[in-house]
Amino acid sequence: MASGYLVGRGVTALGIHLQHVGRNVLLTQTREKKRWMKAYTSLMERKMKLDGPPPPKPRSHQPNWDYHAEVQAFSSRLHENFSLELLKTAFVNPCYVRSEEESRRKLGLDSEAAALSLRDNTELRGRGLEFTHSFLSDWCRGNFPNLPAEAVTALVGHLTSPAVMCHVARNLAVEDLTLSSQFPVPDDVLRATFFAVVEALRESSGDESTGLFLRDFLVPELIGKDLFEVWSVVNPMGLLVEELSRRKQPLPEPRLIRSAGASTVLPLYFVGLYSDKKLLAEGPGETVLAAEEEAARVALRKLYGYTENRRPWDFSPLRQQPAPAVRALQST
Amino acid sequence: MSSFTKSAQQWATFARSWFLIDARMQPPGKIATMCSVRLQGKHKPIYHALSDCGDHVVVMNTRHIAFSGNKWEQKVYSSHTGYPGGFKQVTAAQLHHKDPKAIIKLAVYGMLPRNLHRRTMMQRLHLFPDDVLPDDILENLTEELPQPRVIPRKLSEYTQEERDAFPMLWTPPEDYRMK
Repeated sequence: MASGYLVGRGVTALGIHLQHVGRNVLLTQTREKKRWMKAYTSLMERKMKLDGPPPPKPRSHQPNWDYHAEVQAFSSRLHENFSLELLKTAFVNPCYVRSEEESRRKLGLDSEAAALSLRDNTELRGRGLEFTHSFLSDWCRGNFPNLPAEAVTALVGHLTSPAVMCHVARNLAVEDLTLSSQFPVPDDVLRATFFAVVEALRESSGDESTGLFLRDFLVPELIGKDLFEVWSVVNPMGLLVEELSRRKQPLPEPRLIRSAGASTVLPLYFVGLYSDKKLLAEGPGETVLAAEEEAARVALRKLYGYTENRRPWDFSPLRQQPAPAVRALQST
Repeated sequence: MSSFTKSAQQWATFARSWFLIDARMQPPGKIATMCSVRLQGKHKPIYHALSDCGDHVVVMNTRHIAFSGNKWEQKVYSSHTGYPGGFKQVTAAQLHHKDPKAIIKLAVYGMLPRNLHRRTMMQRLHLFPDDVLPDDILENLTEELPQPRVIPRKLSEYTQEERDAFPMLWTPPEDYRMK
């Protein structure tokens, strides 16, 4: 077609659609099938197979990034009132400050000019960690009044563990906003940044608001988790005996309730624990001992109120108290 | 169910149970339906045809089953040996005399789905003509199922007081001669 020869890889007068084939190569798309496209794509695929996938790029190094706008968006997305200065300080990690100063020094600036005027988040993260621990412990103790101290520590430790906190932080876009020397941001740095953000929120909006934030984002990581998945107990029967003697109840007696296929390779036993001839709990197991241990665990869950049929936690929003009506002063 | 550890809950859900049925004075058809339901696993909410979720069923006293009506003489079990002139027909009574387990076995076999799982399910059916069970089977049993038919009491099983307390339809006169 004559028009096909006139149209090359250059510009057409009709609608221009840009395609980025490389950083400096712009192509306009035309309707015709391109003879070079298949060779090019197959070459790039072969190169990708040899070199592996490209390393991940931080969001700040990708196009369409405005740090100030993103920080504001972070604040309004969470429906929280952050003081932007505090929030920006919270995202600055000491490793970032160090690496920036080093790179400036390498570029030839002397040490005075190289010093950054950025404050990092070291104090913020310490206070944030403290507040988070205290709030989560209070929340646990409030929802499970019968839970012993080691269990509360285990639950709080699980919620503030690097794995859980980094999962929450990544999904809240904290990783995109952190300033740190390495990418992808290492777990401990991300966790510390999250604590700093919590502290920034606390200093901007107050304890109550921060408490609600933690309740809404950290506590749901416990949903679906069983108590003994988080808190490892080696001897549940011993713990049960302790609990019952503390409550002045008779000690548990195990009895076999049901069994199936006892002489096969896949037996099942149900063992029940009776305290003063009343059933405390029953549990299944592969052997009689395993079933007894399971029954002890079920009994402990019942005593601590961490069963699957417990009342669900309250995630309702804080009801704003109506402001007291101001009575006009009577003028004489 | 209530707050078991996940692994224990799974073990309990997929374990195979062993049911015991006493077939004394019971119709073999009703016994067979109960067996087939449990052999297929249709009594479980996790049933699926491909899941191999059936349980074991042990039937005892198969010698003492009770057909209703005249089925002992009228019900015919047919088979063919494959050779010419090899068509055999036996009544239920004759078959039962030859093999006391055969009637229940054939009834259950006919009620199971006609696929390759049927033979496996039949292997999980254990029949015993009397109430003498081997020890390993006795150890495995989980529970006994209630009998489908209420056995009526014989006159000899009523006590004299109950017989006297039974209401009379009419009082015969003094000189009435009963046969």
